[in-house]
Amino acid sequence: MLGHLPEVASQQAYRQAGQHFVPGPACFSGRQHPGTLPQQTRKGGLSPSLQCWGISGGQRSPRLHALPVLNSSAVTDGAAAGGTEDKWIARVLAEFQPSDESPPLPYPLEAMQTECTSALRTQRMPTTRNEEYRFTDVGPLLQIQPQVASPLDVDGEAVAAVSEAHSIKVAAAKIVVIDGVVSDQLSSTEGLPHQAFVGSLRDAPLDLMAQYLGQQARTRGSPFAIVNGATAQDVLCVYVPDGVHLDKPIHVLYIPSGHSTMAAPRLLCVLGTDAAAEVIEEFVSPATDFSTPHVTNALAEMELAQGARLKHGYVCLEGRQAMHMKGTLVRQAASSTYKLTEARLGGRLTRQDVNVAQEGEETRTEMRSFLLCGDRQLHDLHSKLRLEHPRGTADQLHKCIVAAGTGRGVFDGNVRVEQKAQKTDAGQLSRNLLLVPRATVNVKPNLQIVADDVKCTHGCAVSDLEEDQLFYFRARGVDSATARRVLVYSFGAEVTTEWPYQQLRDRIQSAVDLALANVPIMESIESEPVEV
Amino acid sequence: MYTSSLHSRHCHIQRGAPFWRPLGIRQKHTRWCKMQRFDTVRVFAGEVLLEVKDLEAKVAETGQMILRGVNLTVREGETHAIMGTNGSGKSTLSKCLVGHPDYEVTSGTVTYKGQNLLDLEPEERARAGLFMSFQSPVEVPGVSNSDFLRLAANARRKQLGQEELGPLEFYGYVMPKLAALKMNPDFLNRDVNANFSGGEKKRNEILQLSVLEADIAVLDEIDSGLDIDALRDVADAVNSLKRPNSATLMVTHYKRLLNYVVPEAVHIMEAGKIIYSGGIEVADILEQDGYEGIKSRMREEASKQPVSA
Ligand SMILES: Nc1ncnc2c1ncn2[C@@H]1O[C@H](COP(=O)(O)OP(=O)(O)O)[C@@H](O)[C@H]1O
Ligand SMILES: [Mg+2]
Repeated sequence: MLGHLPEVASQQAYRQAGQHFVPGPACFSGRQHPGTLPQQTRKGGLSPSLQCWGISGGQRSPRLHALPVLNSSAVTDGAAAGGTEDKWIARVLAEFQPSDESPPLPYPLEAMQTECTSALRTQRMPTTRNEEYRFTDVGPLLQIQPQVASPLDVDGEAVAAVSEAHSIKVAAAKIVVIDGVVSDQLSSTEGLPHQAFVGSLRDAPLDLMAQYLGQQARTRGSPFAIVNGATAQDVLCVYVPDGVHLDKPIHVLYIPSGHSTMAAPRLLCVLGTDAAAEVIEEFVSPATDFSTPHVTNALAEMELAQGARLKHGYVCLEGRQAMHMKGTLVRQAASSTYKLTEARLGGRLTRQDVNVAQEGEETRTEMRSFLLCGDRQLHDLHSKLRLEHPRGTADQLHKCIVAAGTGRGVFDGNVRVEQKAQKTDAGQLSRNLLLVPRATVNVKPNLQIVADDVKCTHGCAVSDLEEDQLFYFRARGVDSATARRVLVYSFGAEVTTEWPYQQLRDRIQSAVDLALANVPIMESIESEPVEV
Repeated sequence: MYTSSLHSRHCHIQRGAPFWRPLGIRQKHTRWCKMQRFDTVRVFAGEVLLEVKDLEAKVAETGQMILRGVNLTVREGETHAIMGTNGSGKSTLSKCLVGHPDYEVTSGTVTYKGQNLLDLEPEERARAGLFMSFQSPVEVPGVSNSDFLRLAANARRKQLGQEELGPLEFYGYVMPKLAALKMNPDFLNRDVNANFSGGEKKRNEILQLSVLEADIAVLDEIDSGLDIDALRDVADAVNSLKRPNSATLMVTHYKRLLNYVVPEAVHIMEAGKIIYSGGIEVADILEQDGYEGIKSRMREEASKQPVSA
């Protein structure tokens, strides 16, 4: 049985909880509802084709017309033999070309660079005609002239101050990565047990890392992952051998120097059998008033052996001029657990591509994301999880606030349960809050089930707060405007409370406060679907 | 001050014993006789706090009729219990009293402190001193209990013309309340009900009741999911929060709770109606013979009813 419609019973359960369900792809846009009472989106009988919740009945957003979709072969067709097909790629490769003075790279990195560089010669960067990038126009990113500063240009003191300001007290290790290169000076790994390795590829067990570096990106990476492979100057390696448990987090802080316009930080994380670790990646701005447009093109490859447990945190607090592309590739052996917790508030155009492959039975995969799109901000989450073995669990929660008419959230979450993956337990929920008229989300929660003995829940709620929570406040004497305000501010907490780290939570909360400071939190917004 | 819609009544009670008096519902001749045997002390019954008359309500979304004419009068100083099988409408009644948007009152009246309760928004009802503990309180991750409680307390205090409390003052206000309820101050730092055990959620409801200093507490299955020690703690807490001018309405399945929080009146609900009311002995009959026991008692009484009544 092949279908992506959610199980009916669970749909009803969510309806009872005051949620609105939309099977299949959808786009939503908010408008103010004239009434004073909280309203819910109530539309039934949607076809599983693409939907858009538009400004109001009849008025359709011109931005959202269906476009013909090219498949990837069409994108790469017509590559000029010898030269480089894509102009931006050509500029990137020229800028990143190693000079005679550059120090030699560790051999796995050099091999990956060569391979990716040659792959790029026939590649083209995606446009909105590409289905995967339909709502996310990377055009502004491709207009940024790639420029790499010499490490000598880096203002050490300024970067040290940024590092100082972004701490997680209990972390066992703090690694500072500047323009994609691990800074030995600013990093410290004192709290780590001696069996584990955390540091630059230059100092890592090379033969072991060579087995994994670039492996997942080669087969499942996005075009940006290939660009990362061709331009990465260093790799941060985390290696936790069999049976070793790190009980405190490894905090990785990525700081752009402010002098380069493009960086390609790369992380390789290898967990042995029954090993356990927590890695928190935090991307920040070099200064609060930093306003140079720049590209952060990050990639992480995670390898989990049997029974391994990885908690992966990803926090984007970059400046409002950052074009931030992030790839996360995960391979899970039997009985392993991968848990992603994400908070994205910074950047102008950001996108994460998560791709999780299940290599054995009884894996657990959990993904929780909180995205807040403010003025002229777009946050995109594309996730793919493929279950091919029995008794796995998959649980995804996507929460997105769009707080400006020029803001947009994009979510495409694909969970595919194959025939062999019997007794899988999969759940997926997307909740979106559109705070102002014209705020837009394009959401496509997509649970595909081929196996028949599977427990799945699936849902997509748009536009309103949870009625039960709202009523709880009112039943205690708090008026609904105040209650709404408190609930909007804490909307992401269901995700971010996964982190028991006060400093990190405070940083996220102040970013939330800042983003919502001037947003009128209205009584209610009603969303209406518009066929595209 | 509000004016009672009924005249104050005189009645006779025994000094020191749990007092008992006509309940304004179906006055039974037999009960009057019983009381007249006591030493007599003349007292005024408390004023009527809550009066529900012929209340009918349906589920707003589906139109399904749930309450089919509920009558209930609660006076200051009283403790009442509502018992009834699952699905008989106990929670619906509780939620209608606090104005839950899932339900629509289709007829009947509710008078609270002399004013029409149904005219008030839910938050106005809470500020006026009406409190309901939820059968399954919702989790609110990201909002700390102390912030939530302070918002609630200040909303009520504002209504009462009292000074609103800043975070530090609130701490001073809530700590003795926590101590009186034998609760861990750690409760304040945790997010509202998030990852609370069933028992912790119930205690948190009682803490809210205490912070709001409500005049009437409707406690919906405050006992469910509690072990015997936790039940005793919660019951002690409920008893300790009683004031001479406040009232308590307990919704429960089991007699167990009523051994600790002893009600003057027990009402049996069935299919959206209160079908029988009496004293604590009603709970005993229910425990011994189930709802059948109540029914046969009703039949018995119906046949004994003096024609002259
Ligand atoms: N929000 C609702 N939507 C649909 N049906 C409801 C709703 N609330 C209550 N009901 C129905 O009304 C009846 C009474 O429910 P409830 O008041 O919860 O009973 P009790 O608390 O006595 O167990 C039940 O049949 C229940 O299914
Ligand atoms: Mg109930």
